[in-house]
Amino acid sequence: MLSEGEQMEKEYYVCTGCGLLCEDIETELEKRAISKVYTACRVGVAHMKENPGTAKFWVEGKNTDEATAIGKAAALLKAAKNPLIFGLDNSTNEAQKKAIELAKKLNATLDDSSSFSFGPLMAALLQKKFKTCSLDEVRDKADVSVFWGADPSDSHPRQLSKFAYFPRGKEKQRGWEEERTAIAIDIRKTHTAKICGNEFYQVPLGGDAEFMEALIAGLSGKLPKTSYKYPPKKLLELANLLKAAKFGVIFVGQDLLYSLETLAPLFRLMDTLNEKAKGDFFLIPLLEAYNMRGFNENLFEETGFVNRVKFEAGSVKHGPEYSVVESLKAKAVDAALIIGSDPLANLPYSIIKELLEIPLITIDPCETLTSKKAQVSIRSGVSGVEAGGSALRIDGVRVAFKPVFESKCPSDEEILLKIMEAF
Amino acid sequence: MDFGSFLSAPELKLKIVTYRDIFQNKALIEDRFGEEYIAKSALIKLDSVDLKNLSLKKGETVILKNSFGKVVVKAEASDSETPHRGIAYMPNSPWSNRLVSTETGGTGVPRFKEIEATVVSAKGEKITELEF
Repeated sequence: MLSEGEQMEKEYYVCTGCGLLCEDIETELEKRAISKVYTACRVGVAHMKENPGTAKFWVEGKNTDEATAIGKAAALLKAAKNPLIFGLDNSTNEAQKKAIELAKKLNATLDDSSSFSFGPLMAALLQKKFKTCSLDEVRDKADVSVFWGADPSDSHPRQLSKFAYFPRGKEKQRGWEEERTAIAIDIRKTHTAKICGNEFYQVPLGGDAEFMEALIAGLSGKLPKTSYKYPPKKLLELANLLKAAKFGVIFVGQDLLYSLETLAPLFRLMDTLNEKAKGDFFLIPLLEAYNMRGFNENLFEETGFVNRVKFEAGSVKHGPEYSVVESLKAKAVDAALIIGSDPLANLPYSIIKELLEIPLITIDPCETLTSKKAQVSIRSGVSGVEAGGSALRIDGVRVAFKPVFESKCPSDEEILLKIMEAF
Repeated sequence: MDFGSFLSAPELKLKIVTYRDIFQNKALIEDRFGEEYIAKSALIKLDSVDLKNLSLKKGETVILKNSFGKVVVKAEASDSETPHRGIAYMPNSPWSNRLVSTETGGTGVPRFKEIEATVVSAKGEKITELEF
């Protein structure tokens, strides 16, 4: 057992493995690398140990020094007429702000992965189109949590144990056994759905919008009907469960967003819940990358848009044509700076082919499919392990972090600053 | 001569639903070019009846094909308690992304989630290597 003095000296670190930004991580170091990680989940442990520790710079596939790589990156960006800056969901707020500055300077197109996932929901959240709350409020007050097209057991492994279901909160001292209900609505029985037990509602592929409309009918005292004949009795039971909530939360996952043509049914459901339920209902998007929320908020603050922007001589344009996918499809961009993202792994093949036609620069802590094909590739420090900074948790709470150890790897922010200085 | 070699292998039309998997994500972080990540990514989970109709055994490879691409991945029966014939599950990965439509209708959002493809036995062909 540790003495009081030893406990006082304990250092806690932040895991940047997902958008929960868990702040209670303990580590052990051995030869300037993390050998043991405590408290983190399976993904977090792997992430915290992911630190090769040495800075690496490649130009045209060959090892080089920092100045040569930075100089080449700056030259490629300067020579481009319409460069694209993409990624940044795994970068600190400070690096994101620096990238926005760089995009302005270059008259660049700027986008992130929310462009094909959470973008519209995040825009609506920042425009206050529905109620949202913090994860701490969820832990302290929530009695009903709904996971819709969301499987935090796989994407945010500590979400249920730290916030949504298992913990004792200030006003929820009897926890999941007596005071909390977890509900999963999904097209398949996910690991989270298994935890929810009888409160799992399986919706057919593409059937979420109709399920929402039926639920709205059920909440409004009408008979809930669906074309796929979901048992009305079960839908009414769900409606009654939601109605009785004193503090309800819907966690929206990416899978729900892919199923909905528009977000209108979701907003109508939120309005109906807040009208009919005993207490308030809130919505929290289950953003996956550790600082997608930061990218959306930082860009929103600067431009009024959460993604898909093109800077042009002091003005900013926004629209689907400035999304990473459409700008590549239209061959509208002629160089790309990719930061903390692996589009060659994450985008459809025909889009990748367009990306391979233009000069690529990558900044990433890992070697990726994209960095292997880049003209310039720079290895940056892992946030929270080798580099400090701050990020926004999925609920918008700002979390600052320090590195676990001093590393020779530059942070994304430092690299971006040096590229700008090299112009 | 094996008469069976003259018969075309049974083919099925599938709707592929992609999903996230914590074990695959951990393998990705540890080594995105490693065997474990490939084993947990280049994978399709079929309804057991579909698997039988394709004359496949667990762990054999299949060719997934549509107008956007073609990949060879391993097939296995899903552990779903409810039957889901015609629907198959695949972890989100560069292999599933090879089959994603680029017809976005100008929205900037590819259809990552619901992919239509045909499946047929790959007759021992190896998993597609990710070369660009």
